[in-house]
Amino acid sequence: MQLIEIIEKLNLKTLTNVEERNVEGVFISDMLSDVMTNAKSGNLWLTIQTHKNTVSAANLVNLAAIVITHEKEVPQETIDLANRFYVIILGSDLSTYELVSKLVGIGLTP
Amino acid sequence: MHEEKCSHIWEMVDVIPCFIITEKCYHCGKIATYFSTEHTPPIEEYREGVHLWNFMGSAQSIKFNLKCTKCDKLEKFDELLGVMMCTGCDEKCEVNVLLKKLEPKRTWIYVAFGYLPIDEKKQLSPKQISILEDYFNQRRKSSKSTIKIVSHKLVNNIANCYAEIIKDVDMLCLTLPEK
Ligand SMILES: [Zn+2]
Ligand SMILES: [Zn+2]
Repeated sequence: MQLIEIIEKLNLKTLTNVEERNVEGVFISDMLSDVMTNAKSGNLWLTIQTHKNTVSAANLVNLAAIVITHEKEVPQETIDLANRFYVIILGSDLSTYELVSKLVGIGLTP
Repeated sequence: MHEEKCSHIWEMVDVIPCFIITEKCYHCGKIATYFSTEHTPPIEEYREGVHLWNFMGSAQSIKFNLKCTKCDKLEKFDELLGVMMCTGCDEKCEVNVLLKKLEPKRTWIYVAFGYLPIDEKKQLSPKQISILEDYFNQRRKSSKSTIKIVSHKLVNNIANCYAEIIKDVDMLCLTLPEK
């Protein structure tokens, strides 16, 4: 499924620059070491973790985008770093659980 | 398949969650880092040769090895503390020079860190670093970006570098007891 389609259907906020990417699956974790170990290339990463180091974890394993749930505010330094390194950060006011159910609803099934 | 002829496809194995412990010697000012699988590292100062180590902090991370899915060759990464993405903080740093050159092609530079002090601990070999780079590139399903991994020996000034090793801080990390 294409990232822009997901952004539009789920009304996600674009906190960084956005480009079209293919999304393959979802990964949920708030730990960077977990991303490094278990996330897969093309995954949409759902997290409440907003530290700037999320950018380096996302690029290391080639994630499609990071989605910050629970309307959590993202520090400007994280956004600036993400823009420089083409990491897409999106925001949602939904809880991770609610967002997952909507992702499944639009056809992004495990 | 015979190991030498195999074009290895690596997978992460032997993953152990552990803590990166940072200590400082108050005699010589050197910083030491190492892994601990214990929840409570020694937080009292202790002597080791000429050093008097004091606990500075810890963060959760992982240790792992890589194994080829085709020939079963195991490559151990006992000397790897973690990787850090270069964010280009120092004009004089060779890693930054490399980033500037490769950034337009979306090649991101990661620095593989060994244990500190660099001159007292066994460090990763160029071959290990190259295997690590192969592994993370093999994990990417898109060819739109690649990663390059270099040794921390290329960093101009580790103490002043703004980038951080990928690790989990302020979540499950340990803190010193209140005084
Ligand atoms: Zn092999
Ligand atoms: Zn010392």
